Amino acid sequence: MNLKFLVVDDSVTMRRIVINSLASLNFKSYVEAVDGNDALIKLEENPDINFVITDWNMPGMTGLDLVKAIRSSEKFNHLAILMVTTRGLKEDIIEALKSGVNNYILKPFTPSVLKEKIDQILNSKNTES
Amino acid sequence: MKNDASVMNKLFEKLDDLKAIFLYSEKLIPVIQKLIDFMRNTIPLLENINQSITDTANKIPTAANQIDNVTNATEMATTEILDTIDKISVEINSAKLNVEEILHSQNGSVIDDIKEKLNSINFSLDNINQFANNVTLSLQVQDITSQQLAAVNYLIQSVQMRLGSLFNDLESSDLSQITKYTDKNIFNEHARYQDTTQQQKVIDQLVNRNNSPASQDEIDKLFLKK
Repeated sequence: MNLKFLVVDDSVTMRRIVINSLASLNFKSYVEAVDGNDALIKLEENPDINFVITDWNMPGMTGLDLVKAIRSSEKFNHLAILMVTTRGLKEDIIEALKSGVNNYILKPFTPSVLKEKIDQILNSKNTES
Repeated sequence: MKNDASVMNKLFEKLDDLKAIFLYSEKLIPVIQKLIDFMRNTIPLLENINQSITDTANKIPTAANQIDNVTNATEMATTEILDTIDKISVEINSAKLNVEEILHSQNGSVIDDIKEKLNSINFSLDNINQFANNVTLSLQVQDITSQQLAAVNYLIQSVQMRLGSLFNDLESSDLSQITKYTDKNIFNEHARYQDTTQQQKVIDQLVNRNNSPASQDEIDKLFLKK
């Protein structure tokens, strides 16, 4: 499966770290977005995106609102969503899961954790289909 | 008769005194009324000041904690970066040593020697690459500390806002001007730079249970294990 990632984070450093980590895992195809609103525009512009990696805390549209927007859209609700955030409170994680994230990573993370979660999501997607 | 006239005179004198008191009181009453009105107007202002001071006092320890967190996070990340740089130095020295050995080799079997040393150099370069990646990962601290600083800014702005509204009451509106407000959505006030291995395990269990119904008790137990 050819994966094209949408990396959503308002921090340039974090976007670069996520993209470097993806590159170290041999995932070279990606698009960047600076917040939820930008992410929705990028999704419209790049219909071949199939995997969204998003932060939670962002100006404008937050990552959580982006997840809700994607899940309520017929066009995009099939997308895999991984949330990478500093938010580790129980209620945050439950809210994110209820909103429709496929998996959840706490910052700071390592590429091995990123790989593990991407694999888990892809495996569960394969099982579904 | 003479006595009666004297008593009457004294009575009139007293009445004159009483009249003077009434006349004086008549002038004094509006002043007292103004004083009462002033005090009545001052009470909400004093209550406002009291509330502002209480709010400010409550927020200052949180702001101080946030600044401590920033210091701890940057210190932890700096230590990690320095550890990684030490490892990179060891690998570079090892690679240099191998290159020096090849350059000064007096052996007849130079080719085999070169191959062996190149393999070793290759191994060192892989390690250097890995350590360089670790440095990059430690730089996630930048995102975390920027959220912590945004949280501090938010607290300071809210204190400033309270003081601004207070000074507004005192008709000095200049102090209520804040040019740029921090959007509360851009930061997580609980952001920490720390080893997330254990917390990630709990999250993984939650994510796994999300596929099958989990009770609130089970979820609470997961978090108590932390």
